[in-house]
Amino acid sequence: MFEKDPRKAFEQKLLSLGEQNKKIVTVSTDSAKGAGMSSFVKAFPDRHFEIGISEQAAVSICAGLAEIGLIPVISAITPFLTMRAYEQMRNDVGYANMNVKVFGSGAGLAYSTLGSSHAVTEDIAVMRSIPNMIILNPGDSNEVEASLELAIKYKGPVYIRMFRQVQGEILPKQEEYVIGRSNTLREGKDAIILATGVMINPSLKAVEILKKKGLSVAVESYLTVHPVDETQLLNITKYYPVIFAIEEHSKVGGFGSLVCDILIKERRNQIVEVIGIEKNNKVGPYDELQQAHGLSPEKIAERVERILKY
Amino acid sequence: MNLSKERIESLERSSFNVRRHIIKTCITNGEGHVGSALSCADIITVLYKDIMKINLNNDKDPDRDYFILSAGHKCLALYGALIERGIEDPKILETYNKMDTLIPGHPYKNLLKGVDFSTGSLGHGLSLGCGLAFGVKYLKKSNRIYVLMGDGEQGEGSVWEAASIASHHKLDNIIAIIDKNSLQINGKVVEVQNTNPLEERYKAFGWSVRTIDGHNINEIHDALTDAPFEQGKPSIIIANTIKGKGLSFAENNLEYHHWNPKGEEAERALQELREKEVMYDV
Repeated sequence: MFEKDPRKAFEQKLLSLGEQNKKIVTVSTDSAKGAGMSSFVKAFPDRHFEIGISEQAAVSICAGLAEIGLIPVISAITPFLTMRAYEQMRNDVGYANMNVKVFGSGAGLAYSTLGSSHAVTEDIAVMRSIPNMIILNPGDSNEVEASLELAIKYKGPVYIRMFRQVQGEILPKQEEYVIGRSNTLREGKDAIILATGVMINPSLKAVEILKKKGLSVAVESYLTVHPVDETQLLNITKYYPVIFAIEEHSKVGGFGSLVCDILIKERRNQIVEVIGIEKNNKVGPYDELQQAHGLSPEKIAERVERILKY
Repeated sequence: MNLSKERIESLERSSFNVRRHIIKTCITNGEGHVGSALSCADIITVLYKDIMKINLNNDKDPDRDYFILSAGHKCLALYGALIERGIEDPKILETYNKMDTLIPGHPYKNLLKGVDFSTGSLGHGLSLGCGLAFGVKYLKKSNRIYVLMGDGEQGEGSVWEAASIASHHKLDNIIAIIDKNSLQINGKVVEVQNTNPLEERYKAFGWSVRTIDGHNINEIHDALTDAPFEQGKPSIIIANTIKGKGLSFAENNLEYHHWNPKGEEAERALQELREKEVMYDV
């Protein structure tokens, strides 16, 4: 299975897009190296702005750069951009509909041993509340590259939720991604899992476990968390008695909540189960932490099986 | 450089017109941040009339100078100046405090020509200005970036993030102005949360600083003409002003930060305007 460090994927793609488009500039809050901007910085030192540990200023600076007609790409550890600088993100980037690309690095449980200051499970909820903001949540390195490419092509603010731990390949690289559209990864008839980001790979593994138990479960992957193509989602889920929405994010205001917002419009007789983080109160190695929150393949399979056999 | 007597008189007339727009708009359409707008009216008038590079045929001219009203609540002064400069039509004032207004209580990006940013939450403007300054320098252009802040606003931490960044990166295309009227909502700045000494603070942050009388047209004009003061340093003009300037009973009076003119008070304001209309021959 193809595996690639997401930061490497980001770094190479940023460099190649930067070579093609001189409007792309980068902004760092002492975060360039960690975010994978080093190659871009080396190639285009005059197109990189190191702001230091000042995230609020950095986000407004991005808005200023965008007003000039440049395409700023900012990356820093997720909570510092999405929460510390939330108001700058809301006023100067979102409401103002500025062409700014925001990469939150190490989102979800990625910084699993560093505690809740760094392991952030509320970013989708807060960013989703900002007008005009597109949210992409890549689940493998191909999707990281696709996200960067989609973000640059799209004119307006985009938030990309970056993972850290290497993930298996979800779809072949040549697969085309479209903002808002999901991709069918597995067909099935007993239930469907709608998965996003780093929950795609565990969901695929869970489906394999369930298959051995005679259960046929479909998997649909969502690179776009917001806004989702509602018609597509309603069509895809139409004939399933049980729908699961899985995310490495708080159950409050995240992808699952968004799925429920859409599904409730048709008032169908279906079970909808959101699998996410109840309480971000645990610290530990990544795999163990995922398991503790019920997000490992085994735990997902157990939960799906329990509900299907209920 | 001393301005001619005629030019000073002309700018003072324009300043009066801006003040008249501020006061009359609130009398006609209701409450607004009158005291705060009146204190910076002279500065904004000089900027728009004589200093900034403006293209009346293209408000998004890439060679234009930028103005960011970081203290967005002072916006009635900005709206007045846009009219006086001929950028916007006086009719915009009729929409104040009405549904789908073109002139909200804080400036909104692109609702009007010449408003490039939405402001209102204090402490964003200088950072936005840094972004413009970085971009202008990268593109090897000469646009200037003017940012007007309040002295109470200096309590926001993000102002000092930007102050530090502007000096570290030698953003000498930024010219900041502090409308130092020494009052904020709850009292005197020195009593609520002292932001002084602003000169020393900005010097310590690596800025080139000049202090002026913010109601003296000649001093405002001189400072804005001389800026940037030093190569490789951002410039800041600390303008000592009087909150409510030009409306006698509102001057230096805490109660007029935000004013809802009514009854006798409104009449008195109109009477003062009529007297000044004669004085300025407008």
